[in-house]
Amino acid sequence: MAIVEQPRTDIALPAGAGAPAVITPKEAKGMFARPVQPEGWRDWLFTVDHKKIGIMYGVASFVFFIIGGIEAGLIRLQLAAPNGKVLSADQYNQMFTMHATTMVFLFVMPMASAFANYFVPLQIGARDVAFPRINAFGLWTWLLGAIFVNLSWFLGGSADGGWFMYAPNSTRMFSPTNGVDFWALGLQITGIASLTSAINLIVTCINMRAPGMSLFKMPIFTWMIMVVQFLLVFAMPVITVALFLLSFSRSFGGAFFDVKQGADPLLWQHLFWIFGHPEVYILILPSFGIVSEVLPVFSRKPLFGYKFVAISGAAIGFVGWGVWAHHMFASGLGPISVLVFSMATMMIAVPTGVKIINWTMTMWGGKLTFTTAMLFSIGLIVEFTIGGLSGVTHAVAPSDTQQTDTYYIVAHFHYVLFGGAIFGLFAGFYYWWPKMFNRKLDERWGKANFWLMVIGMNMTFGPMHIIGLQGQPRRMYQFDEANVHTRFWNAVSSIGVIFLTLGILAFIVNIVITHRSKHPRYQTTLDPWDARSLEWMTTNPPKAHNFDAIPTVHELDEFFHRKYAEDHATGEIRQVATAEDIMAEQEAHAEKNIHLPSPSYWPLVVSFSLPIIGFGVIYNHILIAVGGVVAILGIFGWCMEPSVAPAEDYEPPAAPTDGATKELTA
Amino acid sequence: MSPLPDMNHEDHTMNDHEEASVSRNVRPWRRAVKAAGLLAGVAFLASCARNSPQDTWKPKGENAQKIDDLQRPVFLVAGIVGLIVVIAVSYAIFRFRDRGQAIPKQTHGKPALEIVLTIIPFVILATIGVFTARSIIDLADTDGCEMTVNVTGQQWWWEYDYPATPANQKWGIEKPIVTSGELVIPVGTCVLLRQTSRDVIHSYWIPALNGKKDAVPGRVHENKLHADEPGYYSGQCTEFCGLSHANMRQWAIALSAEDFAKWVEDQQRDVVAYAEDDTSPEAEGYRAFRQNCSRCHQVNGMKNADGTPTIAAPENNIVAGAAPNLTHIMSRSRFAGATYQLLNDKCNERLIKAASDQVGAIYLEGVDPDCLNRKDLEQWLRNSPEMKPMYVKPDEQGRLRGMPNLGLSEDQIDSIVTYLQTLK
Amino acid sequence: MTTAVADHGVGHDDHGHGGHGHTSTGLSNNKLAMWLFLGSECLLFGGLISTYMLYRGRHPKGPGPDQVFSIPFTSVSSFVLLMSSLTMVLAVSSAQAKDMQRTKLWLTVTALLGATFVGGQVFEFTEFYRKGLGFTTSLFGSSFYTLTGFHGVHVTVGIIMLMALVGMMKANRVPGDKSEVVELVGLYWHFVDVVWILIFTLVYLIPA
Repeated sequence: MAIVEQPRTDIALPAGAGAPAVITPKEAKGMFARPVQPEGWRDWLFTVDHKKIGIMYGVASFVFFIIGGIEAGLIRLQLAAPNGKVLSADQYNQMFTMHATTMVFLFVMPMASAFANYFVPLQIGARDVAFPRINAFGLWTWLLGAIFVNLSWFLGGSADGGWFMYAPNSTRMFSPTNGVDFWALGLQITGIASLTSAINLIVTCINMRAPGMSLFKMPIFTWMIMVVQFLLVFAMPVITVALFLLSFSRSFGGAFFDVKQGADPLLWQHLFWIFGHPEVYILILPSFGIVSEVLPVFSRKPLFGYKFVAISGAAIGFVGWGVWAHHMFASGLGPISVLVFSMATMMIAVPTGVKIINWTMTMWGGKLTFTTAMLFSIGLIVEFTIGGLSGVTHAVAPSDTQQTDTYYIVAHFHYVLFGGAIFGLFAGFYYWWPKMFNRKLDERWGKANFWLMVIGMNMTFGPMHIIGLQGQPRRMYQFDEANVHTRFWNAVSSIGVIFLTLGILAFIVNIVITHRSKHPRYQTTLDPWDARSLEWMTTNPPKAHNFDAIPTVHELDEFFHRKYAEDHATGEIRQVATAEDIMAEQEAHAEKNIHLPSPSYWPLVVSFSLPIIGFGVIYNHILIAVGGVVAILGIFGWCMEPSVAPAEDYEPPAAPTDGATKELTA
Repeated sequence: MSPLPDMNHEDHTMNDHEEASVSRNVRPWRRAVKAAGLLAGVAFLASCARNSPQDTWKPKGENAQKIDDLQRPVFLVAGIVGLIVVIAVSYAIFRFRDRGQAIPKQTHGKPALEIVLTIIPFVILATIGVFTARSIIDLADTDGCEMTVNVTGQQWWWEYDYPATPANQKWGIEKPIVTSGELVIPVGTCVLLRQTSRDVIHSYWIPALNGKKDAVPGRVHENKLHADEPGYYSGQCTEFCGLSHANMRQWAIALSAEDFAKWVEDQQRDVVAYAEDDTSPEAEGYRAFRQNCSRCHQVNGMKNADGTPTIAAPENNIVAGAAPNLTHIMSRSRFAGATYQLLNDKCNERLIKAASDQVGAIYLEGVDPDCLNRKDLEQWLRNSPEMKPMYVKPDEQGRLRGMPNLGLSEDQIDSIVTYLQTLK
Repeated sequence: MTTAVADHGVGHDDHGHGGHGHTSTGLSNNKLAMWLFLGSECLLFGGLISTYMLYRGRHPKGPGPDQVFSIPFTSVSSFVLLMSSLTMVLAVSSAQAKDMQRTKLWLTVTALLGATFVGGQVFEFTEFYRKGLGFTTSLFGSSFYTLTGFHGVHVTVGIIMLMALVGMMKANRVPGDKSEVVELVGLYWHFVDVVWILIFTLVYLIPA
């Protein structure tokens, strides 16, 4: 493992001290030499910086968004007319399975991770997450798991059981290709990533807040992310068990779903949905957090009922554990179970309704500016409400028995997930782009993006309400016009995809133009939106160490309150400082000798062991041992390597004194 | 970081820019509101207006009616709430857009208002909850059912077994009737379906008669159907069950008491066993069927050359261990998982468009020679996996999923079709 | 899963603006992370135990629980595992008293007791297999081996962590606060013990 070191410093110098000092490591200690400050692609590969990790999460999951979108496009192409012949039954079954798997596990979840990684430490005034190497491990494990799942396309066919993969249809008897194995093992791998990063982010939120930031001064996005991470910590192990049972059944002959031996197929359904329902909130709450940041900024008003929103988020997270069986109203549970879960499901609509009301009330009496981020947020309120209300119609269990497994359900969850989760993520893109890349996405393209997506989504998913109520079941590779009379609305729905595609293209064009053009329109100021929370109290993009001086927090919306003060006599809000003033003050009080965690090879090495084990389970058990050895070596190396490179690794030693620093600069 | 221009100045220019974009956006917003309203209206009309056989809002029986009575007000309430939200949001957008007004007071909300706004949805939902609870209990009650049918799903068709229980004997069922694809029930009667599956999970759903209920292997789930008037009701398997899930259909045919009695009588009849030296085309077909088809498909009354009854052994040849009983195939209107018509288009139209007092008589006619959809039936015998995707690779024990391409000659196909036509 | 264990267990120092004792809550990052991980593990074992409880009576082929279990043998190995929790406590208190010699000793004893338990489990599995209970024999077999196997893997990982810790202490390469690292491994070890008590009660003692 001889790697040539690219020497650079790990030590962020006080602002104004000029370029970073170059320090050469004399002898890198540890089991193997660690990468001290690699550059170029190696910098990204071995980084433990939460911001770089966040960006990589974002880029990779956007690629999967495109892949999932192409899968969706093929599905709609097949269903554009009755008896479609674009895909075979087998291909179609793989397509909708992988479309859902990709969008849920490989796009919305990691895209939320992208924002969480980038912004949670910034919002709470931390220098990084609590465990930076685990953060890197989470990224690479997720990415390798995601690639692993998708490799099945080239290795004999993908999973074909639908994303909830009901047993026994997912057992080898009924799904003989390796697709389900890739799916189960791949999700197991991404699950490890989710679990580790969830623990990491919870510890970060709980323990790394800036002085003065009590839990109820924490920005609402961070709040929602924290709730989501708790959900992940307790939901992931349940799907882990389910996936183990499935893998053991398929690969080692376990009897878990063998009905002839007396197995109960409902076991899988319970395990899956005990995970699956919290998963729904795992997907939506980050977006709720984003719009709860965006709406106050562009309404010039604090979030209405901040505590209510935070608590209702936690309440959703809690009650979310008690409603899983509403996915199983037709599964043959007893009437009492159906009754209980039906009631619980209606009750969870209350805290969700609270959020809608609070967002509307945030805009009420405000001073609204309609940037693209704001439009996406308002779009979320409206589209999510539609999805939420159709949700109430199938919380009513008897009516659900007419709706479940029809297109009405497909319409419902696309309104919730596209109109909800994805609109929220797009609001996040537009809102935080200047912070991440020091460029402002074009508003005109942004508006084109928004309107095309609004039209596209309502045209694609709106008709599905009708299609479903007309009686067309989901997951059918062809529909029969004679049975359901849905030719017209299926065609409309498929045409809607064109608008959605154009909307996404407008976003991509926007990115390209914004980063290519030298036009001042794309340049951003320090605080382009007159924002409210801590992440804007630093440079765009933030320095490696985030803040020159960790701010002390006195208020919710600390940044706003540093910029503006209320005149007690008149009640008028006056600006007392600019973002630049606040930045300058921070720089003047810059902390010295900030030790940042150092890059490391080990997260990547340990991550790589997991797909090796996965291949081993599917193809050759010797590879399991190989993967195990790689993992053990990786973990050993990881443990032997301190998180922050010790001072004696540097030549001359980067002693934490001012004198040394000066010497180096010279 | 180089010093930036004065913040106030920046702020000002930004507001100007936003102002301009706001006025441009007024129209699209109004359009969006209209579109949303229109969409809701269209959705409502479209789902009522067109006569789709599987329309979930067209109940034709007691149970479906109960569901419908419950869901209509819920949809209405949901629609009203949705409208209120859209109106409130739209009002906020127009009323509070930035016209250069002062920065609003930084209030964090009004607890009293928040509590009220929490209680309102709670009360609405609790009200819905009360009615829902009543319906759930009501719909689960199967005590009053006068007839029982065992419904078994397998990839990708439904089998119906009418056992000769004391209750069923009242309907004339003296020996078990086994049929597939089309469930025949007496009108105005609560028919209890005891559902299970032989392989994966399926779901039985006739939207006009009741909501769906999964058929789960290893479990028996009860479901009840009740049809108000004679008719031909469409449904589909609604739990994803593998490759040909889309081709797993079912129909429920509700017959008047007299028609049902006639149907029961017909179904209990065994077929004629042709003599081995009979050279009529039907007898040729009988032997061709026995040679090629009876490994899996049971025909009650068929005899082997040595005079013993021909017993199908699908358990040795099919993963699910069952194949449709074809004793009375020509009394049905569909085949192959009820996906393909046995009737040609003209006769099929006549059946599905029949008035409710006619439908029984037409159904009981069965498939007359001039009504037979010969093309599809022959093609099915020629190469069934091409018409309905089925896993063609046998499992380790050599068992198949669905009917394979049997490699029949055209003569054999003609002969078998001739024989099948006798199975009414 | 094992990766996460090892990471928290023999993990690195926290860092950033705080460092030890300077976190927002005053709790150590590592300990908080370990508690969260163990919380997650509760659900993992919860799922496995539920599966076993559902399936333990289902063995149309092969032996059932009554035919294979030997309560006296398993009681002894359970006692051994319980004793290892005691030695783990001693290790933690020695570490807090900065007595590294004793810490190493008690850690080694703990690892040996754990290894005895795992050895007992391996023996038990061989016995059961001989009596006709394979992994694929019945639902009882599949769910029994999965549940106890997962627990066995957890104990094994714990043993590796203990031995690695002893090794690192010898080489004086333990990052950060030594007593905290010992405590973290201890938390994990006690958790695995508690889970065993639950498994032993539910699987072995309560008749199906």
